[in-house]
Amino acid sequence: MNDVLLEGREIVKVFPGVRALDGVGLRLTAGSVHALLGENGAGKSTLIKVLTGVHAPDGGRLTWRGEEVRLRSPLEATRTGIGVVHQERNLIPDFSVAENITLQSPPARRGFVDRGAMSAPALRCLAELDLDLDPLRPVRELSVAQQQLVEIAKALYTESRVLLLDEPTASLSPREADRLFGVVRRLTARGTCVVFVSHKLEEVFALCDTVTVLRDGRSVLESSPLAGHTHDDIVNLMVGRAHTATEMPPRAPDRTAAPVLALDGVSTADGHQDVSLEVRPGEIVGLYGLVGAGRSELVKAVLGLDRITAGEVRMHGTPVRIASPRQALHDFGIGYLTENRKEEGVFLEQPIHRNITVTVWKKLAKALGYVPAAEERQAAQDLVDRLGIRISGLEQNAGELSGGNQQKVSMAKWLAADTRLLIVDEPTVGVDVRTKHAFHRLLWELAGEGLPILLISSDLTEMITLADRVLVMADHRIRGEVDNDGDYERMSGRIIRIIHDRALPAVTTEREAE
Amino acid sequence: MITINEYGARTSAALRRFSRSTTTTLLCVTLGGYLALGIASSGEFFQGPSVRTFLQYLATPVLIGLAQMVALCVGQLNLAVGALGGCTACLMGVLMADGGVPAPIAVAAGVLTAMLVGLVTGVFIVATRINGFIVTLGVMTILLGAQYRLAGTRTVDGYSPALKELGRAAPLNVPLVFLTALAVAGLLAVFLYRATAGRRLLAAGGNPLAARLSGISTDRQIVLAHTLSGLLVGVAAVTATASLPGVNRSVGGDWLLPSFAAPIIGGVGLSGGSVAVFGTVLAAFVMRLIDAARAQFSLDPSWVNFLIGLVVLGTVVGGRVHQTHLEKRGKAHGRTPPAPAGRGPTADATLPNAGGGQ
Amino acid sequence: MRTPVTAPEHVAGEAAGAQRPPRRLPFWVDQRLGLLVLTVALAALFGVLRPAFLDQRLVLFPLLREISTLTVVALAQLAVLSVGHMNLAVGRMAAFGALFAGLGYDRLHLPLQLGLLVCLFAGAVIGGLTGWIIARTGVSSFVVTLAMDFALMGLVSLLYSALTENAAFTTRPSGLLDLRSASLADICVGRVCGSPAVPQMAQFTVLALVGLGFLYTRTRMGRELLLTGANPKAAELSGIPTGRRVILAHSLSGLLAALAGFMAAVSTGTFRASIGDDFMLPSFLGAVLGGTLLTGGVVCVVGALLGTSLVAVIRKGLDLLGVGLESLNIYLGCVLLLALSADRVRAVVSYRKVVRST
Repeated sequence: MNDVLLEGREIVKVFPGVRALDGVGLRLTAGSVHALLGENGAGKSTLIKVLTGVHAPDGGRLTWRGEEVRLRSPLEATRTGIGVVHQERNLIPDFSVAENITLQSPPARRGFVDRGAMSAPALRCLAELDLDLDPLRPVRELSVAQQQLVEIAKALYTESRVLLLDEPTASLSPREADRLFGVVRRLTARGTCVVFVSHKLEEVFALCDTVTVLRDGRSVLESSPLAGHTHDDIVNLMVGRAHTATEMPPRAPDRTAAPVLALDGVSTADGHQDVSLEVRPGEIVGLYGLVGAGRSELVKAVLGLDRITAGEVRMHGTPVRIASPRQALHDFGIGYLTENRKEEGVFLEQPIHRNITVTVWKKLAKALGYVPAAEERQAAQDLVDRLGIRISGLEQNAGELSGGNQQKVSMAKWLAADTRLLIVDEPTVGVDVRTKHAFHRLLWELAGEGLPILLISSDLTEMITLADRVLVMADHRIRGEVDNDGDYERMSGRIIRIIHDRALPAVTTEREAE
Repeated sequence: MITINEYGARTSAALRRFSRSTTTTLLCVTLGGYLALGIASSGEFFQGPSVRTFLQYLATPVLIGLAQMVALCVGQLNLAVGALGGCTACLMGVLMADGGVPAPIAVAAGVLTAMLVGLVTGVFIVATRINGFIVTLGVMTILLGAQYRLAGTRTVDGYSPALKELGRAAPLNVPLVFLTALAVAGLLAVFLYRATAGRRLLAAGGNPLAARLSGISTDRQIVLAHTLSGLLVGVAAVTATASLPGVNRSVGGDWLLPSFAAPIIGGVGLSGGSVAVFGTVLAAFVMRLIDAARAQFSLDPSWVNFLIGLVVLGTVVGGRVHQTHLEKRGKAHGRTPPAPAGRGPTADATLPNAGGGQ
Repeated sequence: MRTPVTAPEHVAGEAAGAQRPPRRLPFWVDQRLGLLVLTVALAALFGVLRPAFLDQRLVLFPLLREISTLTVVALAQLAVLSVGHMNLAVGRMAAFGALFAGLGYDRLHLPLQLGLLVCLFAGAVIGGLTGWIIARTGVSSFVVTLAMDFALMGLVSLLYSALTENAAFTTRPSGLLDLRSASLADICVGRVCGSPAVPQMAQFTVLALVGLGFLYTRTRMGRELLLTGANPKAAELSGIPTGRRVILAHSLSGLLAALAGFMAAVSTGTFRASIGDDFMLPSFLGAVLGGTLLTGGVVCVVGALLGTSLVAVIRKGLDLLGVGLESLNIYLGCVLLLALSADRVRAVVSYRKVVRST
């Protein structure tokens, strides 16, 4: 059973501005479940795309059963025997369940799709997942969880020897996830190798045999038996604690000061229930939770991008109704550094000075809305110097910068606006270690100057480095609060316990009943 | 495995889906409108000659609507529909009248040329990755010039009487050109709903990334869509040449807007992935009905455009309001947001197509 | 036909001209300069080949009058392109504005200037309405302006036939005829008079150019429009009221279209429904050749003038050379496609550069 199916050595993949993969190795053996772990932005999804022929690697070798292969297209990868469930939704909304499942090689006769012959294999794949779905239903009518399962059924259809699952459980209920694990075990018993990517370490330890850990595009642990590692080992490898924990000078926020922002029993249209929190001047409040816990959505609702259905938002003790991010910025001085840098944070095709000064044009504007170019450039240059953004000129487009520098540009616009409350959402995802340090120090200094900061992060080390207290969020509710004592072991234990103590989610089950 | 009961349940689900679709609404509107018009004209509208005129001028709108729909289904636009049609019509006319080419060969040459132009357009879009809007705009300009050059200021009418005969022929008062359009629509429907190639086309339009991951080349689908669009325009040009008394440089000049109106009213989205062959045919029907009603009540011809504008606006705005409503309900219902299938609702507010699918 | 129109700057407007980062291409491939040199060179060439081309009163005067009008049309398109939208109804908005001017002169006997104001106001209102529908419903601007085009096409004709006897307002307020034929030669400072080639109507164009140039390069509104076009989501999160900016862009477009409609009406001397019929193509040609991107966020105000001038000079020159009107469009389409392919090459090269430097 120990024959190697797919092996990668020294794989390199470069994107504009980042080396997404920088010498990654991986060995997949038949009949095993292989965990691929790493923080957000460590390169897991990129590696999966290289292994399945979506991206051509810029360096390194791939071998299939000992022979070197070049996967030029996803189709070639499938023919070789590599199947995949990507993180993105990869279904055709208008097609039926059966047609989506058989999309790779639809049963056809003389150029015409044979719909009769389509249902049987589709039903077989669905049955394997214990899924009772009408194969003729268009997938656009299905719930997110059902769509996810259809994607897995689609991967089963191709009968691959290597099956890569990228965060397959992200939108599944525990019951559905268990069913999936059953399928995975059955597949490995038949000699398939399953690569499992997940943020949920408990799942990984329950299911996987071997593990590869990626950090900043490098493999820090390569195809090693999982049994030889503890939970903590793996976490340490993932976050590289030795690198990330920045020593900070002590800072003592005034716990008695009146809160700048207070949420009191807030419920939103997105599903948040009874959320209460307070942020005081000079305090860094962490909002920790797994992907999908509803942290960013909560902030967006506060900023007026979603409806608040119950409860009260108070700024400096006054109840407020914020209608738009514009009002949040100009009337209340709230800045929100988004987690989605490329889509919501920076204007990639615009010069840096515009990216930075967008929030202050209103202040700079004279009669007729005239913005003096010199003042604008000065404001931008000040921040470029202050944050140490490496650019060739203020006219350079933001899209030409590296990830870390883009993130700094995205941050700079809020510093330019002199915000009175800063909400930072995953500030260091996909940035290099040095920038990460710089960010931590910056946030620390800002808090030291009295700025209240609400920090959202899935990076536990970052939380423990920066936050004064950590609110733990799960399933759109605040589940508990932990005062940060700076001790990683104790803190992580307490936070994980809070997440686990929660009631089982009833999210997907009710939708499924439709 | 499928018991009768289950089968019945599935059929009824499919029926329910159908009954809520745009096509059904259009069908009702068409039938209702037709009946109302018939009654208003005290039955005259149901009589042979009226039916014949009505259908005679329906063929070309149906075909150009379908040509545009094929481009839309991969998320592209074809601004050259009118110019290509006019140019092809003039080419066929000139070939027959001045070149003395026999009608069948001229027709074949015309259709092939149109198809070839579509092919070249598609290849150009894919090769340069320039936005399809601009490319087809450029092609449209070139074709307008070519059409003018072919026809000049004259009207070419001395071409094959046999072809004109065919164009005017109407067994049982159903014009042959209309039957041609219907047959083309039928073939297209079979292609898009049944043929593997057609399904690939729709897959690439519905979710380009997913299609690519399944081994479908989106580039090839874009080329195919433009080629097919060209072919359909070619057929439209044939029906126009056959049923018009002569061709000149104004043929095709007023095709562009109706070609968009038909699929959009028929329920085809601009972002790609959706087709509605029957819906597009019905929408062309509705637009023709408006025109017929206008003639019936002898109103100013401008009413037609005005009303079509309002119908298009009403269709898309109504559709969007309905969708937003559904999304809101979905949100209140469970906390998982509704399926982000394909593209987000706000994403397509900017540009209908992203060029050569980068 | 080769053209050095290669690399549109990524930077919008003239503010960028001051300091250029080192990786920028040398100044001689600057798109605006390229366009200018090409236009002047072509004009000189035509002047040498056909001395009649340089006849100030008979050739240059009408040529510049046409350029003036079409530049405003291109600016109307540029205004919506800046937020990543399109306005397919530029021509109808022009007709709509001109209708109100004509109505004012005919019924209310307004003076020339007041009529112009009414015209601009009507254009801004109809543009604003379009923008409001788009911002409110999130439907693609392409569809909404397409529907608007239909609706206005009908509405304007209906109003003309309801309000006038022969579908045109012929009442001319005092000063209209002067404006039509006046050139700078009529303005004398002492004994030095202006050139008879430059029409006084160009004052509107210059005003529009300066106004938009100021807006896009110097003001908060302009920058916010551009950022809305570049990335609507990020703009919203950065505190820009994107909905209002979309409405602003569209009403600006309507206003400029109406101005162009007024200028076209003055050029012909009558206010008719057919004003603006052929505005759509030049509006895109001028803006896109001038370096404005369809995807939004990058505009070049002077480029609209240069692009329009190039097109007009080629048209007029080839006409005088006897190439014949019919072939003109063929060349223009080719120029458009070539210019954009060259741009694409530049984009690919710069992408590779970034990848290599990582």
